[in-house]
Amino acid sequence: MVDPLQSPEEVEGRTERRRFVLEETGFDEVPKRYRKFYRKWRGPGDQLGPNEAICPVCKVVIRSSRELWPGDRLYCMPCMSRLVVVESADGTLEARVSY
Amino acid sequence: MGTAPVREVHDLEHERFLEEVHSFEFWFHSVEGYLSGTTYGHREETVDDSPSGAVDRQHLITVLSNYCIGEMAALEGASGLIAIAPNQLTKIFLSTQVADEGRHLEVLLHRMRDLGVKYPAQEADRRASRGLKQFRHELLRLVQGRDWEAAIFAQNVILESLEFAVFRAHAEGADPVTKEILDGIIKDERRHIGFGENELGRRLHAAPHVRTRLARVREELDHLILDMLEDSSREIGVEPDRKAELARAYLQSVERLGFT
Repeated sequence: MVDPLQSPEEVEGRTERRRFVLEETGFDEVPKRYRKFYRKWRGPGDQLGPNEAICPVCKVVIRSSRELWPGDRLYCMPCMSRLVVVESADGTLEARVSY
Repeated sequence: MGTAPVREVHDLEHERFLEEVHSFEFWFHSVEGYLSGTTYGHREETVDDSPSGAVDRQHLITVLSNYCIGEMAALEGASGLIAIAPNQLTKIFLSTQVADEGRHLEVLLHRMRDLGVKYPAQEADRRASRGLKQFRHELLRLVQGRDWEAAIFAQNVILESLEFAVFRAHAEGADPVTKEILDGIIKDERRHIGFGENELGRRLHAAPHVRTRLARVREELDHLILDMLEDSSREIGVEPDRKAELARAYLQSVERLGFT
């Protein structure tokens, strides 16, 4: 899912992160003010945006207002996990649990 | 944390995050999102398209019977664990889990009554698998022995992960009312499995010697888990290739904690 950009992407050099405007997507498993940070994984046709990662514990999609970079910290409130974004062997980003 | 809009939840300090997600307040506003407007776990307007054939109906009753005994084990386990929980945050979280488990048991028993079972509690006890009853016995033994790590491992990692995987698979092909009930339970289970894995992960990091004891507990419970997985897969009609997927889903959390 691609959220609207808050500011134009700086392609050259990519020294700044892209920022996104998050809106609620119908996720109802956390208190209202946190809902925009999560969404359901819609199955095989679904795609993660540059500001999204799947929680390996509970399979919910975690969203950030910033483009994700390796080393970023994420919180999965639906399952209470702290995660760290890492670059996997195939070059994609994934979230791993950090106890 | 109040009601002000949150700019970026991932910027919270970890201590603050833990305090928030373990709180009764967080739980209350979470379940409000998906349970308000439901009666016994489903919306009243949902059409009850439960199996009309006698064989399929009996089959569903047996499946629900096993779920009831699993939820009963979790209810008794979680309530017993409050007394030995190491701090206030975990005690408060477990009080919310007790409420969740009590609700699960109630809605499942009610569903059995909907399906024509006059005495659902007795019927659940009569029909539930031997492996599940044995697991319940072993779990309560760990709780009574005041072994916090082992009991959390058995209940919130092993039992809850198994339930999470089985309920998700069952919900995919269930009748609309049963599906809604299971979907609501799955949302609660996310908190329970996450609590177990993260609590144990932190404790194993701080005290690696605990790992040896937990590996032994896993070894003792493994055959019961595999039996339960086999029974559940058969009962809910999981195809052989999906069965492996189900087992993998259960094993992932155990493996993330370093148990292979």
